[in-house]
Amino acid sequence: MRNKTTFFSLVLIIALLAMMLAACAPAQPAEPPAEQPPAEPPAQQPTEAPKEEPAAPEKPFAGTELVLASMTDQYVAAFRYLIPKFEEETGIKITLDELGYVDLYQKLTADFVGHTANYDLMTVDIVWSGEYAQNKYTLPLDDFMERDKDELQLDDIMPVAWTLGEWEGQHWAYPLAGYANVLNYRKDVFADAGLEPPKTQEELLEYAKMLTKPEEDFYGIALLGAKGPAVAQDYMVFVQQHGSSILDEQGNVAINTPKNVEVLKFFGELFKYAPPGATDYWWDQRETAFRSGNVAMMEGWSIARAGYENPDISSVVGKVDIALAPVAEGMEPKYGFGGWGIGINADSENAEAAWEFIKWLTSPEVQKDWILNDGAPIRRSTLEDPELNEKFPWFPVLLESFEKGDGDYRPRIPEYSIIQDALGTTVNAYLVGEMTAEEALEQAQAQVEAALK
Amino acid sequence: MLLSPLLIFIVVIAIYPLFFSFYISFFKYRLTDPNQTRTFLGLANYINAFKDPQVTGAIANTLIFVAGTVIVEIALGLGLALLFAAESRRTQMLRSWMLIPMALPPLVVGLVWKSLYNVDFGVIPYYLKQLGLDMGRGPLGELQWAMPAVILIDVWQWTPLIMVIFLAGLKSLPHEPYEAARVDGATRWQSFWYITLPMLKPTFLVALLLRTMQSFKVFDIIYATTGGGPGSATTVLNYHIYTVGMVFFKMGYAAALANILLIIVAALAILYIIVLERQQI
Repeated sequence: MRNKTTFFSLVLIIALLAMMLAACAPAQPAEPPAEQPPAEPPAQQPTEAPKEEPAAPEKPFAGTELVLASMTDQYVAAFRYLIPKFEEETGIKITLDELGYVDLYQKLTADFVGHTANYDLMTVDIVWSGEYAQNKYTLPLDDFMERDKDELQLDDIMPVAWTLGEWEGQHWAYPLAGYANVLNYRKDVFADAGLEPPKTQEELLEYAKMLTKPEEDFYGIALLGAKGPAVAQDYMVFVQQHGSSILDEQGNVAINTPKNVEVLKFFGELFKYAPPGATDYWWDQRETAFRSGNVAMMEGWSIARAGYENPDISSVVGKVDIALAPVAEGMEPKYGFGGWGIGINADSENAEAAWEFIKWLTSPEVQKDWILNDGAPIRRSTLEDPELNEKFPWFPVLLESFEKGDGDYRPRIPEYSIIQDALGTTVNAYLVGEMTAEEALEQAQAQVEAALK
Repeated sequence: MLLSPLLIFIVVIAIYPLFFSFYISFFKYRLTDPNQTRTFLGLANYINAFKDPQVTGAIANTLIFVAGTVIVEIALGLGLALLFAAESRRTQMLRSWMLIPMALPPLVVGLVWKSLYNVDFGVIPYYLKQLGLDMGRGPLGELQWAMPAVILIDVWQWTPLIMVIFLAGLKSLPHEPYEAARVDGATRWQSFWYITLPMLKPTFLVALLLRTMQSFKVFDIIYATTGGGPGSATTVLNYHIYTVGMVFFKMGYAAALANILLIIVAALAILYIIVLERQQI
């Protein structure tokens, strides 16, 4: 009898384990990708021969349906506003799928790898350029651009904006939304303290220290400390602002340098003057801290600026100004540039219609509506537009940031996500005291090297 | 004959993936590789795993998490079951209220607790501060508190399940030994220690197995609250497998890690059975 029960329990356990493993096992493509590497690179060329000017038919793509995967950044509001207008003008139907940063990256990768072409258009983070180019996930747009160069007004697009999707001379995404890393500060707090906004990193640290009053729950600076992309990207901002780099001159990954260790210690020092929860801040929590009026300064993407004047989401209306991001003393000013491009899935069957949307959206006329509805600029003409400048008086700061913009401070190489993941863990570990600065960068370097093997 | 649809279903969703995962664990197989090459590595994935400090750290974290949750949940669950064993209108109602946490999706539970723990506006750090206990970066942000904090979430959610299991076990116990014990003048404590506990052994086995296996698989709570942080303080093995497999798409290595997890759980399960069966004699 006893043997029988033992046997029965073992069978039961094995069955349970099998179920558990099925749950753990990595998801697989529906059929094993048995094919050889595709003989011809997928859709290197747009499939159709470039047409002549579509003068005859009014709406050549009427009835085409496109799906756009968009990051849920502020500009998604502009998509919501503009897409119906585009649908009316062209008869092309666009379904907008709004996804958070991590979900977007994973869903797109799955879509590309499985060649399922669920998405025709997608917003492409500047740092994905190299990876998308290397794997040919998106369609190179150069042929379209060459064909339509007369109507595109390419010279008007800020030179730095091309880093949104350009890789080794080809364009794998088209500039969509340019962000400049700027310093947001509280005018009232700085006036009370008799200070001018910091121009150098040294001043930034000094002022953060002076303005921190923990007993009043008020802190000098809000930073990104959460494990993952957030802390990695904020650290890289400071690496850039101290004139250092994640890559060496030959383009090899060189995280573990004495200079970077120094920057990491500076970064850690700043956290002493940040809200206590900052080691857990993701972008939105950092925004909340600044908007709720608990911090004096915050470096961040310029796209958030307009929101500080919106009383629905901000309790610091009229108290905020922006300045150029401070750089280390003696360094030639360069400002972090980021943002999003828009790409066409290499597997999409509607590339022509998708290109039509990109062309329409980035045209100077529509760009004005794009900006007025929370979009971000890419064109000089929009940044210099008098009407927009009146509404957004900080545009001159943006223009200067763009002119001296550095879109490569986060290396846009195919291995970017590996670097980001390694730094995302180890920098956070340093901030919470699990590792020393030296150990953190040493381990990040080792992790990246191991992953690249 | 009638079974065949079911069998096909199991083969497709359980057996085939199982063997496929064993198979690819011997390969270097990266899903995002444009050429989709698979290089045979033999046991290298398994050997590398034990040399990888991230993996050994994750295994250690997993063991702490499992030990913490299983011990606390069994102790609390047994206590609650004894408390609510008596049949009355009040205990019946309380028992059903106790089951609510179990009915919530773990992801929701994680997000709710994340807000409760939030150091800027969360309830828990606020009251702790009033009591004079300053949590600094908050329960999920401090190295030494993050693991206890996520264990507490799991305990909150799954203790009711253990309670139900023990309630069922208690109901099925015969009355005679207790009557005999009372005649012999045993105290309530003695009859609990010498009668209830030994007779509950099969129930313990069920509860232990169920919770151990579930705890080893923990993912949602970690994903929703800490993302494995701060640093790597709460990176459990299953979360690390997710990062390797679903973020970097290194399927071969991820499959090897998943198999290591499987072997650890299987070994523990068999150990439980052997130990508890032997004591029954």
